[in-house]
Amino acid sequence: MDRPSIYARSRKEAPANESRVRLIITACDCPANTHGEHVVRNYEGIALVCPVSLGYAKQSSHGAAWYVGSVLREIIHSAGIAKSDVDGLAVSSFSLGVDSAIALTQHFGLSPRWIEQANMGGVSGIVALRKAARAVQCGEAQIVACIGGDGAGHRSFEATAAHFSSWSIDASFPYGAGGPNAAFSLITRHYMEKYGAKREDFARIAVDQRYNANHYPKALLGHKRLSTQDYLQARPIAGPLHLFDCVMPCAGGEGFLIMSEARARTLKLPFVRLLAADELHNAHPKDSVQDRGGWTEYMSALYQRAGVGPEDIDLLQTYDDYPVISMMQIEDLGFCEKGDGPRFVQETDMRFDHSGAPSRKLPHNTCGGQLSCGQAGSAAGYLGLTETIRQLTHTAGSNQVPRARHGLVSGYGMVNYDRGLCSGAALLARGDA
Amino acid sequence: MNLKEKMQRRLKLSRPSLRARARPPKHRTTLGAQFTAANLSTALALQHCKSCGHTQYPPTELCGICLEDQLIYQPADGAGVILAKTELHHSLWEYFKRRLRQGSWPLCSVALNSGPEVIAHLGSDHLKAGDPARVFSHTDASQQAVLIAVDANVDVSYPEARREIVSAMNLDIPAIKEDGL
Ligand SMILES: [Zn+2]
Repeated sequence: MDRPSIYARSRKEAPANESRVRLIITACDCPANTHGEHVVRNYEGIALVCPVSLGYAKQSSHGAAWYVGSVLREIIHSAGIAKSDVDGLAVSSFSLGVDSAIALTQHFGLSPRWIEQANMGGVSGIVALRKAARAVQCGEAQIVACIGGDGAGHRSFEATAAHFSSWSIDASFPYGAGGPNAAFSLITRHYMEKYGAKREDFARIAVDQRYNANHYPKALLGHKRLSTQDYLQARPIAGPLHLFDCVMPCAGGEGFLIMSEARARTLKLPFVRLLAADELHNAHPKDSVQDRGGWTEYMSALYQRAGVGPEDIDLLQTYDDYPVISMMQIEDLGFCEKGDGPRFVQETDMRFDHSGAPSRKLPHNTCGGQLSCGQAGSAAGYLGLTETIRQLTHTAGSNQVPRARHGLVSGYGMVNYDRGLCSGAALLARGDA
Repeated sequence: MNLKEKMQRRLKLSRPSLRARARPPKHRTTLGAQFTAANLSTALALQHCKSCGHTQYPPTELCGICLEDQLIYQPADGAGVILAKTELHHSLWEYFKRRLRQGSWPLCSVALNSGPEVIAHLGSDHLKAGDPARVFSHTDASQQAVLIAVDANVDVSYPEARREIVSAMNLDIPAIKEDGL
């Protein structure tokens, strides 16, 4: 075992000194958990390298292939490898139209022996990462490019919202055609009534994220400041949701490479390790209105496998399509009890540089998240990962979190009807941590 | 008007914001069209599984519990409880954009006593989460069935009563562009 430092840091009981640890499943009504105990291999020897974020724009004449291909080009340049060295490709995009990941191999002149298309919105990056890590671990591919990219043509967001799923076409879009705002205003109001959350609590998340975006040059709203007053006085959109609760749909691309740690060292690339990761989809199907996600079922086991706990996390990236969803993740990821999210965000400084007033520090969505960067379709499901790789390799630049060693990234998404179905989480550590 | 001008005008008129009469979203899947057809003659019809007795919504091809291909539409009880309520101030669709100029558009989710959870237009503005409600279906101005939730005390057993509620919401008529084209 070549990583005693993490285990030593953890206040939780370190797992046995072996590569396979037992995963304990808690009692739950989820169908996914009826199989009882099982064993998950760790992700030892896997490196995440070369984070790329590019092309953020409110509107763009470029298509998804331009974004995916441009990310690939930049990744190859920064890794110092040949295009032919990339033998695995994972792609996520809502706007490829008639094309698929396979079509892109011909566009880009690639001949991968491993390919994946993960179109799962806000959890795409984590899904792609987990699959790619296993492919490299098992020797099915050596270097996998994981890329999310989407264009933003005129009125393309309306088209996506109107045809998102068969259930949304038949049973949600005809009711006011509010798109995701309608579903999330129901979720937000329910959360506020059940747990006593106020708009001032959600403002904490939006305002600190905007501060982070003010220090991240690529954020589309990074040039504008946002005060609590601005947040509270914004124009209403749906129920309790106002303008700064909603993301701005945009174009953009995000991506990174997965390779072996040995390969990363040979290429002299700063890398990040994957301590543990998990997913659970359509969790808690009997909850009438969503106020928790699949994380509740695997986070304690995830921390145990990683040998770190919430107290060791130096930065957290949640999927922030709406502030209430970040608050739900903060609770479900184990930073506080269910319903304590409002108090937690009031008492926590979520700025990247620890410059806020509250004494508890948890840098959160350190480049501004989607609320302040923009929501670049499927690329938004990669944003937390690319940002965390930058942070943990200490290459973030003007929004660098001081002394960052451990990062937690969580993914959420795909409102098929009334709730987001996907959940995913990945615990990452600095290469030498 | 030469051909170029004619084409430009046609292009301009094809923008939904310039249409004289805007209607609610008409597009449905095949299953959604079947839902509309099944609901034409009754207050509320939902898919019922002959194999396991499950009542289902939104419509699907197979039962979500037993996965059997035994779903038939049956008259269903619309009684339920409001789960959450909201009101839209913003919409992606021209019909609702025009309606929103007169005020916000109320929506809710309802847990039907028969099991399914539905999203519905809210016909009784005073209802809030936890209140008993009644859900019925009606065709809107696009001739598609939509669900409407009202106070549980409202009698919706007669078509005339249901039509009156829908008319009061202006759901059965297109939204006219007020200041002309
Ligand atoms: Zn059945």
